[in-house]
Amino acid sequence: MIPAFNYVRPASLAEACAKLASPGTHAHAGGTDLLGCLRDGVFAADTVVSLSGIPDLRGVRKNLDGGLLIGAMTTLAEVAADQAVAAGYAALAEGALSAASPQLRNQGTLGGNLCQRPRCWYYRGDFHCARKGGDKCYAVEGENQFHCVFGGNVCFYVHPSDAAPALVALDATVRITGKNGSRSVPVAQFFVGPETDYTRETVLAPGELVTEIVLPPQPAGTRGAYRKVRARGSWDFALAGAAVVATVAGGRVTRMRIVLSGAAPVPWRVPEAEREVTGQRLTTQVARRAAAAAVKGAEPLAENGYKVELLRGAVEEALLRLA
Amino acid sequence: MKDPELYYVDGAVPETAVPKRSPQPWGKTRVVGKPLARIDGYERLSGAAVYPSDVVLPAMLYGAILRCPHAHARVTKVDAGAAAKMPGVRAVITGATPAADLRWYYSRTVFTKLFDPLCRFAGEAVAAVAAETPQQAWDAARAIAVEYEILSFVVDEHQALEPGAAAVQAGGNRVAEPETYSRGDVAKGFAEADTVLEANYATAAEIHTPMELHGCVASWDGPRLTIWESTQGVYPVQQRVAMLLGMPLANVRVIGRYMGGGFGSKLQADKYDLVAAVLAKLAARPVKLFLTREETFVCVGNRPPSTMRLKAGVKKDGTLTAFEMTVFGTGGAYPAGGTSLVDWLVRDLYLCPNVRTEMTDVFINGGPSRAFRAPGHPQGAWALEQMMDALAVAIGMDPVELRRKNIPEASQARGDRPYTTTGLDRCLAEGAAAFGWREARRRPKGDGAVKRGVGMAAGLWIGGGGGPPSTIVVKLFADGSANLNMGASDLGTGTKTVMAMVVSEELGVPLEKIQIENADTGTTQYATASGGSKTVPTEAPAVRAAALAVKRQLFEITGAELKVGAGDLRIEGDEVVSTSDPKVRQKIAEMEGVQRRGLLIGVGTRGPNPEGKIVNPFAAQFCEVEVDTRTGEVRVLRFLSANDSGRVMDRLTYAGQVIGGITMGIGFGLTEQRVFDRQTGTMLNVNWHDYKIPTAMDVPAEIVSLPIDAPDDEANTAGAKGLGEPVTIPTAAAIANAVYDATGVRVTDAPISPMRLAPLLAAARRGGER
Repeated sequence: MIPAFNYVRPASLAEACAKLASPGTHAHAGGTDLLGCLRDGVFAADTVVSLSGIPDLRGVRKNLDGGLLIGAMTTLAEVAADQAVAAGYAALAEGALSAASPQLRNQGTLGGNLCQRPRCWYYRGDFHCARKGGDKCYAVEGENQFHCVFGGNVCFYVHPSDAAPALVALDATVRITGKNGSRSVPVAQFFVGPETDYTRETVLAPGELVTEIVLPPQPAGTRGAYRKVRARGSWDFALAGAAVVATVAGGRVTRMRIVLSGAAPVPWRVPEAEREVTGQRLTTQVARRAAAAAVKGAEPLAENGYKVELLRGAVEEALLRLA
Repeated sequence: MKDPELYYVDGAVPETAVPKRSPQPWGKTRVVGKPLARIDGYERLSGAAVYPSDVVLPAMLYGAILRCPHAHARVTKVDAGAAAKMPGVRAVITGATPAADLRWYYSRTVFTKLFDPLCRFAGEAVAAVAAETPQQAWDAARAIAVEYEILSFVVDEHQALEPGAAAVQAGGNRVAEPETYSRGDVAKGFAEADTVLEANYATAAEIHTPMELHGCVASWDGPRLTIWESTQGVYPVQQRVAMLLGMPLANVRVIGRYMGGGFGSKLQADKYDLVAAVLAKLAARPVKLFLTREETFVCVGNRPPSTMRLKAGVKKDGTLTAFEMTVFGTGGAYPAGGTSLVDWLVRDLYLCPNVRTEMTDVFINGGPSRAFRAPGHPQGAWALEQMMDALAVAIGMDPVELRRKNIPEASQARGDRPYTTTGLDRCLAEGAAAFGWREARRRPKGDGAVKRGVGMAAGLWIGGGGGPPSTIVVKLFADGSANLNMGASDLGTGTKTVMAMVVSEELGVPLEKIQIENADTGTTQYATASGGSKTVPTEAPAVRAAALAVKRQLFEITGAELKVGAGDLRIEGDEVVSTSDPKVRQKIAEMEGVQRRGLLIGVGTRGPNPEGKIVNPFAAQFCEVEVDTRTGEVRVLRFLSANDSGRVMDRLTYAGQVIGGITMGIGFGLTEQRVFDRQTGTMLNVNWHDYKIPTAMDVPAEIVSLPIDAPDDEANTAGAKGLGEPVTIPTAAAIANAVYDATGVRVTDAPISPMRLAPLLAAARRGGER
């Protein structure tokens, strides 16, 4: 049962930010994650602030610099179906399309996708875990087959977004508005890893909202892909995945981004793997070397060692799709 | 040798009256066998059908059950004082409430209290509330203060017999002495074999998780209790509730006209029935009590996990010489058949003179198992059918041919009693031909990282013959329309449609003029629960008998009116016609004798099954898969199911069963698995995204249903055998064999998830590179 809460639907961004600055409030975008969290008692809300009455938060627009601006309230389905996104930012289109199920993509928003809470079954269940103010991460000694192999520290969840790795690979930026104005943060710095602060997932301060995702123009010869490995064909978070974006000139890769999903509490960029590709032709051997480099330093828990194989496979296949 | 007890039969079955003589087999039919859509399809799809969870009564309250969050604990104190004073709360019951001082039975001898102080799994009922709204009920349930003495627990069955393991039951963690079976001499059999293989296999606990949640609405009218229940059988629920509440059967009415899926978990009453009845009594208001999705994962049954070791001997020519199998399993915290029937296919599917099996069932602090679509069989098939595949590889024989070499005509595990019919060989041969098995096996696996492979497996179901008791009433109204009254539930499988087709076959009444009243102990006749693949072979002959009883009366009346002998008459459309002089005919709706009587009533009962024979359905399934050898992802490309289930009653519902059974088997083989937290003993994946039932994207677009349409006229007067369970028995094993064909890697632990397969593939690659 979802506990009772007050529901407000402000007509302006400023009003929404003002409301969200008080404790006990939560923003409601698509609601696909919020309602589940409230029902399961993951956190409580006195007041739910709907963002659906705020104009201009939804849709994909061309930016002056030739890139794209995606409103935070744009649904994942709209992102996946947008022709400009598909043409210039294939990794994002594929990431958005691979998330959740058609029903959830029709309802869930890109902004919400970036701000969703961990899907760890201890965090979501009746466990007073570290992230909820308890004194331990139950995954460490428990059922950690779906937990992280990189970046774990106190808390070992994996970031659930399929869009975020693509956005990091595309050097995207999020525009954030709060009570005191707006700021821009690169998506790569938007997420907070547990070694920095294991009680939050993003840099958003109380009263701050993601309003827009800014995609910079990509150099000519840029291609991208997102490869997601999951336990079933739909409605499933990534067991492992890789967003790859390569700029190719004269047959050689001049700029490479490889970002893992299902691997770490944040989208996990693997520069060593990128270096294996940069300056090279994208051959089977290069893809294989990069895949091996991508999983170097992985620190599996007792039950998730398989993820190393999956990540290796995901990186290799994603790269070969660019070849 | 005694037959193993079938789960849907509670002791010996009394036979209802046998018709004086059996009608002739149908031979060719006009209606039965056609691909006809559900007669209630519109109601189900439009939302007009009122399922038990849709029932809303005037002044109805909502119930909620507070459950123990610990795997093993003793309730030391319950304080419901604050909860009782909360807004909207109309009744609170705990173990101390006199009206709730009831027993709950897990077997004939094992029982607990309804709210027992000793909680043996996370999810045991501790207290309950009825309130004006569901929200108020849940708020109040959570406000009940319970103190627990937390006890040590065991949820890993492999630790249950270790020294120092928590004792789930006072007598220890063995449910009983191991169950053994033996025929012939296995040592001699293995000595005669040219090849002997031995391997371990394991399957995970699977949850029924039907679309409609478990639950009921309970309402009192003076001393009489009415329960609207989402159930596979209204009569078993009535019996259990009346017995436990000490009420006459006549005062307990159970209604379940529609229900949204059961798969075995809804064959029986549940504690929530008693809870709702007691709450309703105390509040003097009807109470609706449907469980949450999370509750349905932990406390209304599961398919037990199985660990199996199988040793098999075969001669070069494919003759099986011996099987030896050990099975280890658990049905949870109470006796619930944790290893029930897991060895059955090893005992009975193939001709083999020497067989020995031993099964050990233990207790853990988990929710009790319930019958789940072909109990034990998919687990046994997972081991046996992978073993058969490995034997075929070892002796260089086609897996289909190996099986065809070993087809029994009789049930070896049931005193060599012959089968009325066995279509196993035809399923294998005709299935292989229709699938293109030989060509598919020869096709290259693929050069890249993605490999293709094909696999097959076979099976039989121990039941599926049906039998007495069943009583049916068919009424023919004066305008030629009919009413069919039967006690059986329609699980969504199409039971009502099939039975209407039987009426139409005999009386010529079109389906749209047949009204069906079913699954109501107050107004319909006795029926056992719909389960065990026995509903069609049980009910269809009784429906036919009832329709024939109407027909006899109709012919007598018409014969008198038309001055023709009753034996000369037949029905053509809506007319009765003389066979010798087809010009002599009369519309049923215009027959004076029928008009005068108002309606004709026929009563039919299910006669006995043939003496000394076994009625079982058989199956063989074939599939093609694609495996990404880098990531261990398996994609099922196509499936074919060849089934011998006797006569095809409705070609559409038949295909529906095949598609549903294969879908469920894909889940069992590839995605589904109960996960307990080892630290707390609670189940972690209690929702539909962590517990992964297959989605549309996991089921191939191409699923071919190939009926071996051979009416079994000896089995019963409809010639039909059961289908619902055999369609899911071989599925997972067929997939595993296809994965082996594609990759050379045999996955013996289900499910075959990327997390299991990818490391095996990587290890195989490393082995290959060495």
